[in-house]
Amino acid sequence: MEQKKYWQSFGELNNSEAFQKGAQDEFKEDLPFENFDAQSLDAKTPRRDFLKYVGFSTAAAAVAASCEMPVKKAIPFVNRPADVVPGVANYYATTYLSGGDAIPVLAKVRDGRPIKIEGNELSTWTKGGTTAQVQASVLDLYDTARLRFPMADGKEVSTFEAFDKMVGTALSGLGGAPVVLLTSTVNSPSGKQVISEFLAKYPGSRHVQYDAISYSGLLLANEASYGQRAIPSYQFDKAKVIVNLGADFLGTWLNPVEFQRGYTQGRKVDPANPAMSKHYQFESMMSMTGANADERFTHRPSETGVVAAALLSAVNGQSVTGINGDKLRKGIEKAAKDLVANKGNALVVSGSNDVSVQIIVNAINEAVGANGTTINWGVTHRNKAGIDAEMATLVNDMNNGSIGAVILYDVNPAYDYFDAEKFKSGLKKVRVSVSLNEKMDETTELCKYVLPANHYLESWGDAEHKSGYISLVQPTIAPLFKTRQWQETLLKWSGNTASYMDYHKNFWTSKLGSEDTFLKALQDGVIEPTTPAAGSASYNGGAVAAASAAVGAGGTAKRAGYELVIYQKAGLADGRHANNPWLQEMPDPITRATWDNYVMMSPHLGKELFKIDLKNNTQSDKYEAFPEKPVVKLKVGNKEVEMPVLLIPGMQNETMAIAVGYGRSEKVGKAAANVGKNAYQFASSNGTTVIFHANANVEATGTTYKIATTQTHSSYEGRHEVVKEMTLAEYIKNPKKVLEARAKELEPWGGLENYAKDGTIYPVFDKPGIKWGMSIDMNACYGCGACVVACTAENNVSVVGKSEVLRAHDMHWLRIDRYFAGDAYDPESIQTVFQPMLCQHCDNAPCENVCPVAATNHSSEGLNQMTYNRCIGTRYCANNCPYKVRRFNWADYTGADSFKNNQDEANDVILMMNDDLTRMVLNPDVTVRSRGVIEKCSFCVQRLQEGKLKAKKEDRPLVDSDARTACQQACAADAIVFGNVNNSQSAVSKTRHDNMNRLFYSLEQIHVLPNVNYLAKVRNTDVVSAHVEHQEPGHESHQQAPKEPAAH
Amino acid sequence: MASLRYESQTREPLVTGSKTYHQVTEDIIRPIETKPSTLWKVGFTISVIFLLFGVYSVYREVAYGIGEWNLNKTIGWGWDITNFVWWVGIGHAGTLISAILLLFRQGWRTGVNRAAEAMTIFAVMCAGQFPIFHMGRVWMAFFVLPYPNSRGPLWVNFNSPLLWDVFAISTYFTVSLLFWYSGLIPDLATVRDRAKVKWRKHMYGVLAFGWTGSTKHWQRHEALSLVLAGLSTPLVLSVHTIVSFDFATSVIPGWHTTIFPPYFVAGAIFSGFAMVQTLLIITRKVLDLEDYITMEHIEVMNKVIVLTGSIVGIAYITELFISWYGQNTYEIAAFRNRWDLSTPYGWAYWLMMSCNVIAPQFFWFRKLRRNLLFTFFMSIIVNVGMWFERFVIIVTSIYRDYIPSSWSTYYAPTVWEVGFYMGTFGLFFTCFFLFSKYFPVIAVAEIKHILKKNGESYKADMGEEEKSTVEHFAHEHAHAH
Repeated sequence: MEQKKYWQSFGELNNSEAFQKGAQDEFKEDLPFENFDAQSLDAKTPRRDFLKYVGFSTAAAAVAASCEMPVKKAIPFVNRPADVVPGVANYYATTYLSGGDAIPVLAKVRDGRPIKIEGNELSTWTKGGTTAQVQASVLDLYDTARLRFPMADGKEVSTFEAFDKMVGTALSGLGGAPVVLLTSTVNSPSGKQVISEFLAKYPGSRHVQYDAISYSGLLLANEASYGQRAIPSYQFDKAKVIVNLGADFLGTWLNPVEFQRGYTQGRKVDPANPAMSKHYQFESMMSMTGANADERFTHRPSETGVVAAALLSAVNGQSVTGINGDKLRKGIEKAAKDLVANKGNALVVSGSNDVSVQIIVNAINEAVGANGTTINWGVTHRNKAGIDAEMATLVNDMNNGSIGAVILYDVNPAYDYFDAEKFKSGLKKVRVSVSLNEKMDETTELCKYVLPANHYLESWGDAEHKSGYISLVQPTIAPLFKTRQWQETLLKWSGNTASYMDYHKNFWTSKLGSEDTFLKALQDGVIEPTTPAAGSASYNGGAVAAASAAVGAGGTAKRAGYELVIYQKAGLADGRHANNPWLQEMPDPITRATWDNYVMMSPHLGKELFKIDLKNNTQSDKYEAFPEKPVVKLKVGNKEVEMPVLLIPGMQNETMAIAVGYGRSEKVGKAAANVGKNAYQFASSNGTTVIFHANANVEATGTTYKIATTQTHSSYEGRHEVVKEMTLAEYIKNPKKVLEARAKELEPWGGLENYAKDGTIYPVFDKPGIKWGMSIDMNACYGCGACVVACTAENNVSVVGKSEVLRAHDMHWLRIDRYFAGDAYDPESIQTVFQPMLCQHCDNAPCENVCPVAATNHSSEGLNQMTYNRCIGTRYCANNCPYKVRRFNWADYTGADSFKNNQDEANDVILMMNDDLTRMVLNPDVTVRSRGVIEKCSFCVQRLQEGKLKAKKEDRPLVDSDARTACQQACAADAIVFGNVNNSQSAVSKTRHDNMNRLFYSLEQIHVLPNVNYLAKVRNTDVVSAHVEHQEPGHESHQQAPKEPAAH
Repeated sequence: MASLRYESQTREPLVTGSKTYHQVTEDIIRPIETKPSTLWKVGFTISVIFLLFGVYSVYREVAYGIGEWNLNKTIGWGWDITNFVWWVGIGHAGTLISAILLLFRQGWRTGVNRAAEAMTIFAVMCAGQFPIFHMGRVWMAFFVLPYPNSRGPLWVNFNSPLLWDVFAISTYFTVSLLFWYSGLIPDLATVRDRAKVKWRKHMYGVLAFGWTGSTKHWQRHEALSLVLAGLSTPLVLSVHTIVSFDFATSVIPGWHTTIFPPYFVAGAIFSGFAMVQTLLIITRKVLDLEDYITMEHIEVMNKVIVLTGSIVGIAYITELFISWYGQNTYEIAAFRNRWDLSTPYGWAYWLMMSCNVIAPQFFWFRKLRRNLLFTFFMSIIVNVGMWFERFVIIVTSIYRDYIPSSWSTYYAPTVWEVGFYMGTFGLFFTCFFLFSKYFPVIAVAEIKHILKKNGESYKADMGEEEKSTVEHFAHEHAHAH
């Protein structure tokens, strides 16, 4: 259809050349410029430019003046994926896998990204409990140092097919030389089948399992005593007397999640029927588990066997001989007496990797009737199966040149094998070396072929941590990089064309009977027997005599010199997660140190070496107030290392301890690089197993080294308003001891009943509706730090790196205060308290009234809340917080600042956490705080809000399970109870009501009215060290102050 | 030999050298009309360098965060607020001299009030920098102002002592500035009238607000002075009282102390007078004003110093006594962290004690009160001591408070923290140098009031007859009859 054309002139109609030219100009006629002088016409900024400049500068000023940051990337979905509702999280059941450990978990997936790991409450043995490593594992998924593609000789291989072909050719060219599959403990049922299929393809090949922290002593001892190379279940819940010979079962030993749960049954005090298990600890170093013991005795590490043997003879009614030191001897006798008295309810465990020691421990357990009662042989642990001798044979074979190929998965012997040099030289003689490790590490670095495995959150799989208890693994995100899980790789290399996903599905469908059952199991995450198996094993005591002889029982020679213990920290454990900043920054439960390993040493030895007397005020103050710690030169055999020292009360006087997991290669990642020294080198072999202690020489170097600790002072100075503790006997004698003390203290201000009202001149308001409250049982907190990492993950808490922690700029919203009491020079007298400390959400909060801009205020639900965008950063609230839980953003830790490019001074770790990849772990429900504002615990307000909405949508009152804080969820011991205290049926109300006698509020006397209460610590001991006068290391004068009456 | 006239010996002259009115004007206004001396130029340059370093230090802090300073999770305030309280305190002497001494008709104040008031204004300007730039997000500092806004019903928190500070300091600054400037007007008019250069005549003409010196002007000027003096008087007491509330209303042992208001005010006057001494001893030398700022002035101010220093000393001892008498564990521990030399900051407490309490006791001796060098030395000592008083109160209270797990590592400032403090010195002296060059450092009009309080000038102009003795007079006149 022809369009009408209107024209203004003939020129336009005819479209003449002159018209075309004229149309180019803005003004068709000459402008009346004659009135202007020449200057303004020739000005450098003509009118239009001037307008441009005005426009630009106005816009620029407006942009510069506004603090809104432009959204950098926002890519909407074209089609919404099924199951994804933007802003709503999905939870997928899967299993945390690490070196044989398999903890059933739920992965919280928000908009396609896993951002948080929670325990799977359907698992009967974890009941939703986790460890710090489990909580931190999601960050490993987004580790910038992850390997991103397969490599051959350090060069990228473009496709998996090409890689498979290369390796296939290499393996087929071995000419019959054996292929060895070297892995950590594998307890995946389908994985084991994959391995056997693979091994069948290469005759003569074998599978070797290697655990860096070996349990072969225990496995072999059980083989000798019970005919089973297995580890039974230890039922701490059934034990009334627990004797522990140096096993850190609450922190790192074997299965801490389950053990914490069980142990807690005996530690929480039932107000109706007060009783507690009695925990004796015999150890050389101050372990987290030892810190929770009722009675603790120290001995040299080389004396472990002697102590075990002495305990055995005492249990058998014989006299105790060959023990140096009266205290230790009496301790053994006392423990033995209790064990015998509680036959059938007693349990002895040992962390030793010496077969003889474990054989003796088995004999003790037999003598005290543990077999079949506190030790359940019906269910065995399958998470540790490595036998040291097999590894030693392999290393020898490798050095002989008789191994054709080594395929490694989840092992790193070049770093963590006691004779790493020998392993490395052996690896060089192996013709084909393939690493399937997830990350670059010391061993992978040396391998010719590298095919990185998936993170567990990207994988299919299954695991059997304990026999009969299966947990399934399902991916929660597509692999981020060109990686492939090891089962699929082995399937391919054994010629199976099925994908592992199908293989896995078929495997379980056929096992479970139907696909529906499989899918249900996948949804639940766990497959468990309906009735838990229980049973005993037949005992054979034939090896005991030889074992006793081997440990030198009865010998009386006093050993000389110093000894060294190598141990695992609750945070970093064996070191495979060393590049995880959350774990690196988690303070160690005992030393409160971050980002380093060091020599732990008794104050006694410290005095001898450095003339630092911790009982002298000036010297202890100086030692505490400066991060520079003395450095020693440590010699073990021909190995020598210089390391800083921390003086830790409770260490055996001649023993030092160094944590493994540090001293990683630079290639492992920015967080792990240059942190600490490798302690595995000090391990040795006794011929059968790897031994984690050694004789050592030590001398002071006179130099110092800065250690970043988050807590400098170790005594609570007898401040019973902060921490309340008592003995079990005191509690039974007068259950109202704590209550009466509180009542007396508050009497002048209205007493317990009216303290809130009468303790102030201000009006008191009603608190209707929801009022959130938390109760923390100090008897169930063991200091492990799972809650600290869970809080970090949930709330986007910044990691600040060593240089900032050194300046006390750590950002943790939740910390676990650790206090020692007792005589610093008497390790047996040391008692430890762990007190989780977080914002107390005071109803009369001192932080709230001092903020000039009302950036922190009280919600109608009792929350003390922070308004980040109102905060101007005066830090007055932090100063006025009696609990010192408020944290300030000293620098741009998050990249969320109004100013760009001001991270010049940030350390590598901050930059690593600001990487686009790492930031994928951030929780979108929680504001990322910018520089210059205060932050603190919010009681996970985002979870509370979600819970309230859920209840509202379902039109029902809120229940406890709707809203749980991250710390509460993570705790395996259920030390934290949280909920609505206005609801008399909520768990927190019930806990407070039932435990009224033990309940106290920290610093109650200053009338801040906290919403967090603690339950006083009850010790199953004769005395509370902190209550004995003149016990605080170096602070006698504080003690003389009478306990003050009350409020300000 | 008896004299013909009666001479009172009770007072020393407030202005020595038997000045005439004209001479007074000449002496004080001349420096404004001549080129600055080399000494002035050197001093000014150094001040500006300090100021620029301070500006850079603050730039770093604003650009990179408070992490440029060594504050930490336990010690939220350190040098910043110490310096703030210190500078505010410095200012107090100026207000005291100009307001309270005016109301009490203390004639000697006229020699020093102008410089002291200027010092007040500059000190408050310096003080103000710290609460502003100690904020983590200084670009949001306007949140502390209560103005109707578009952020909903969002208002400032009137419960916060920090907000009271905002009002106290801004009021203080405003009143001090008005008082100072209204006093300047007649003198500015004098400069204008004497001016021989066009720009000077113009500038001072504007500044003098058309002052003609008419009786009506003088009457109003006097009335205004009295009104402003009345307004300023409570400020002398209230400003530092409110500053002390920052600490006194908190829950932290060592801060939570009811003695703070009077203790802070006495301390403020103490340090303020010391600062006046420091400045005037230099000024009178550099500008040749020994006749106007006399030994008498210096002695009087030294008396104030020994008085307020002793009040401060009593306050310190009372605090210690109460901490023992109260038998509160936390209070005892907080004070032990001060007096016990074996604690990390014990040295700071004893430095404070010796500078503020022990040292001023030397001023009981008249000889020392009138010793210029000693006074100058003491004025520095006192201000060092007063700085440490604030440091001790702020830092040693919070570095170890309720929860022992949070006890801090040793806090020492970074170079940028020190730089900020140095920068305020730069600001202070830059302003002071400009003031001493462009404004009359002594109130010309006011000092003329007291010129004849003493007979020295009259004596200088006496005729032969008046100088003669009674005997001589009798002898002379006996012959006349």
